[in-house]
Amino acid sequence: MRKRTLNKSLGAYAALLVFILFVSSCLPKPTTETGGLNITLYGFSIMKESLEKAIYPGFIAKWKQEHGQEVRFTSSFAGSETVTNQILQGVPADIAILSIDRDAQRLKDNGFVTSDWHTLPYKGIVNKTPFVILVKGANPKGIHDFPDLAKPGVKLIHPDPVSSGGAQWSILAIYGSELVKSEKQSGEPDRARALQMVQAIWKNVFVTPASAREARTTFELGNGDALVTYELEGLLMKESGKPVEIIVPQATIFSEHPVVVIDRNVSAEKRPIVDAFVQYLWSDEAQQAFVKYHFYSVTNNAFNEANKEFGHIEMPFSIDYFGGWNKAYPEVIEQIFKNKVQNRK
Amino acid sequence: MSTMIPTMRHVRGFDLARPLSIGMLVFMMLPLVFLPLLSIFIFGTSKGLSSFWSALTAADAIFALKLSMVTSFWATVFNVLFGLFAAYVLSRHNFWGRNALIVTISLPTAIPTAVAGVALLMLWGPYGMLGRLLRPQGIEVMFTASAIVLANIFVTFPLAFGVIKPVFDTMSRSLEEASATIGATRWQTFWHVTLPSLRGAIVSGALLTFARAIGEFGSTIMVSGNLAGRTQTAPLYIFAKFNEGQIEAANAIAIVLALFSFLIFSVLFFARDWLDVD
Repeated sequence: MRKRTLNKSLGAYAALLVFILFVSSCLPKPTTETGGLNITLYGFSIMKESLEKAIYPGFIAKWKQEHGQEVRFTSSFAGSETVTNQILQGVPADIAILSIDRDAQRLKDNGFVTSDWHTLPYKGIVNKTPFVILVKGANPKGIHDFPDLAKPGVKLIHPDPVSSGGAQWSILAIYGSELVKSEKQSGEPDRARALQMVQAIWKNVFVTPASAREARTTFELGNGDALVTYELEGLLMKESGKPVEIIVPQATIFSEHPVVVIDRNVSAEKRPIVDAFVQYLWSDEAQQAFVKYHFYSVTNNAFNEANKEFGHIEMPFSIDYFGGWNKAYPEVIEQIFKNKVQNRK
Repeated sequence: MSTMIPTMRHVRGFDLARPLSIGMLVFMMLPLVFLPLLSIFIFGTSKGLSSFWSALTAADAIFALKLSMVTSFWATVFNVLFGLFAAYVLSRHNFWGRNALIVTISLPTAIPTAVAGVALLMLWGPYGMLGRLLRPQGIEVMFTASAIVLANIFVTFPLAFGVIKPVFDTMSRSLEEASATIGATRWQTFWHVTLPSLRGAIVSGALLTFARAIGEFGSTIMVSGNLAGRTQTAPLYIFAKFNEGQIEAANAIAIVLALFSFLIFSVLFFARDWLDVD
């Protein structure tokens, strides 16, 4: 008899619970309105700070002053290849800022980008940053350049070239560094030596996180001895008071990051504001903001010289050294790295 | 009451095996379960309660938690109704292909969640079999909350069914038959006789489904679009914060999810006795 009443009151509670759940079961309101003036940007992992803290607020204020309209931004950040794949699968991106030109090309090949971003200012490149080595505070393993990463017992964190653009830059930095140095010594780039170096260093890689940012978090949690990444990541770590030393290699690459408009997703009414935002990225205001957040400006070298935290690179080079991404990807990433380093039995 | 534990009568005096085995159990659970959970709480609150609270009340964090609740709720509603129906059909009727159906329903347990995500994309995405037909009608399924619900339904598909079906199988049919002989319709019999004895199984099935769905990650990250404040669920929010190096923010939300699971399984544990009709 007692059990019966217990069951009844419990039934009432259950009904109440279901009712509460039902009432709360309509979708939560998005934190940003999804109206016509919302720009959705997908960026590669390290773009987050500069965009969210300086570039978005700057453009929002500028647009409001000039047109009296409120603009909102929604964004998602991941490894460059991951972001590109998400866009190819149909996420509603208006703009993408990618780590590597090849990803922009993939979007174009699949019809998502119909305009040519190379005709934008500076061939569509919004900022750049060199590749460096990060080591723990006192540099216990004595790492001073890329070849030291091949020393036995060094545990190296390296992002995964399958999902991360930064990882591909890093391969190009290590491979190119040996080419540049051997070319300076003997007048002829020594490809065999460069290949051996990448192979020897890759043996010491013990974890391949999906993006440069994830690799940094792995490193920050105390794993590994060294990490090859964007100089910006090291400067951000220093800024937050983490015990890290930035090792600037003798010869290294500057990664250059393109912006593309995902033409297929941008409606005609949104087009002017999307284009205005893309142009804004090369304004002095935006370029100085990038420098403040540790990127190099592409428009004005005076901005870079004003920033004393940038390391000195003896022999810097760029993707042009390999003849552009159209050559670098098949010749270095695929033939050298994928075939002769990663798949080596 | 089923929580009563029979004592071993043949051991006299102090039984050494008792404290030893209990101690052993707790000791084994320490590095496997207790300490990992503890580290979430330690890391989540390491920068003080005020920064824990602000991590928790960030607009995108609250949105992520709500979105997880809502999408898990609808997946649960669907899977409990479906599980009930499937268990009824499969335990009351014997037909060719019945076993194949049972195996298929259980399949999502063993399929990696990333595969589930890819499968949904291949079906509902812009180039998918159904997506291709829906897109011209202006219906987008992927990268919306519906996609998250679909992913949750897929990965939790067998759970409610798995709890409800055994109860159906072992249920004495004499009551149903008695009900039928006094002139009740099939529906009346189901509503007044069959359903009440399934109450416990339905509640357990629903809570299990909900608990599993709220923690789903692998398939959600592929189908949701992962936009903070729009399509980012709580587990995706945790992953994004971890990637950004904001370990405290990630752990703050992880604490909420951990406490929530604790609550669900406590309810499950204590409610079972009340709801089970003997």
